[in-house]
Amino acid sequence: MVTAVVETRLLVLNADPVFQDEALAILDSIDRIETPRVVRTLSEAIATLIEENFDAILIENGAAIAVEQAVNVRQHFPSLKVACLTPDRGAADSVAMAEQQDITLILRQQRRGFPRKLKNFVHSLERPAASPSEGIDPCHSLIGNLNQFSAAEILQMSCLSQRSGRFTFKSGRGNSEIYLQQGSVRHAVFGSLEGELAVAEIFRWRQGRFYFEEGIISQEQTVNRPWAHLLIDNLQKLDETLELVSV
Amino acid sequence: MRDKGLETKLRLLTLQLDNWKKLHDFITYGLDKAKPIISAEQERQFTEVRADLLQETAYAFNALSILSELSGKAMNVLQRASSIRGVRDLTNDEIRRLEAEWNGVFTKLGVVQGQLKANRKQLASQTIIRYFLGRFLRRPATAH
Repeated sequence: MVTAVVETRLLVLNADPVFQDEALAILDSIDRIETPRVVRTLSEAIATLIEENFDAILIENGAAIAVEQAVNVRQHFPSLKVACLTPDRGAADSVAMAEQQDITLILRQQRRGFPRKLKNFVHSLERPAASPSEGIDPCHSLIGNLNQFSAAEILQMSCLSQRSGRFTFKSGRGNSEIYLQQGSVRHAVFGSLEGELAVAEIFRWRQGRFYFEEGIISQEQTVNRPWAHLLIDNLQKLDETLELVSV
Repeated sequence: MRDKGLETKLRLLTLQLDNWKKLHDFITYGLDKAKPIISAEQERQFTEVRADLLQETAYAFNALSILSELSGKAMNVLQRASSIRGVRDLTNDEIRRLEAEWNGVFTKLGVVQGQLKANRKQLASQTIIRYFLGRFLRRPATAH
């Protein structure tokens, strides 16, 4: 059976995309990616990431600035793949910071290595198309769309009414699950992210579907803080993200 | 099949169109007398867009083979719209000319974008072999 592959969506942050277009030219030659969206400033990048789903962001700049911008993006979008395309490795602290934040550094100066590494990074983002039959069972106790109710609103309502069960969120970014027990979040998972990072990610979703299955309890516990703290922290983070957009 | 040159042209065109749209938003804001406050931040953003257009327009138009047709109009718009405040102080005639010239640039860019997208769509349905075979078979015979 042939598995369909979804076209990869890339956001490129490049202050001078017309004259510094080496990486963009390489991306032009890669099949199975959508035409990359190019933005020139960090605030434009954040605004675009809030509005739409992307598989990764590529940041082109000097090492120090690129890593700083990448760390900023990472804090606001924990599941997003981030790569910095820099002319050199930069200072040791930039490299350490990039490693710590799971940011890929790709050096532009390596004539042959650069196109190969960039293509490898892009190919690593390929994912199979979600099956259309993957759907919602009419017996689920709560079903809805995230463009009508945000994840924060739904979770708030469920936690206040002391529910136990599993929330499944399905969006273009993938599926994620949040387990509640007696009105508190016990476990959350989204791809390789677990716990509070996964909750933070789901908070930002504005598109997708969700459903709740009563009574499914997780054996694992990755979230230890009360719901109210999670809510305040994540709403504050969301405000900080929106502030970046208005810069 | 994907044509690298075509993709590059489309990218340049998209970047140009984005900036011409942003410039239009600022001009419209400047002309709307109901919005009295023009902040320093807005002027900074306007200058940023204008600076990008000034340095990139000639290069992009040249790459798209529309330099001779559009560079005059584009330069007129960029010279007349020196700041948002400056736009507000323009006479009615100057405003009409500014809008007409902006429209000329935007329309041409939109048309070219449509043509390039149509080419891309056509190419996407072809394999490399069929593409080159088609070109080979289409080659006219040389006269002796």
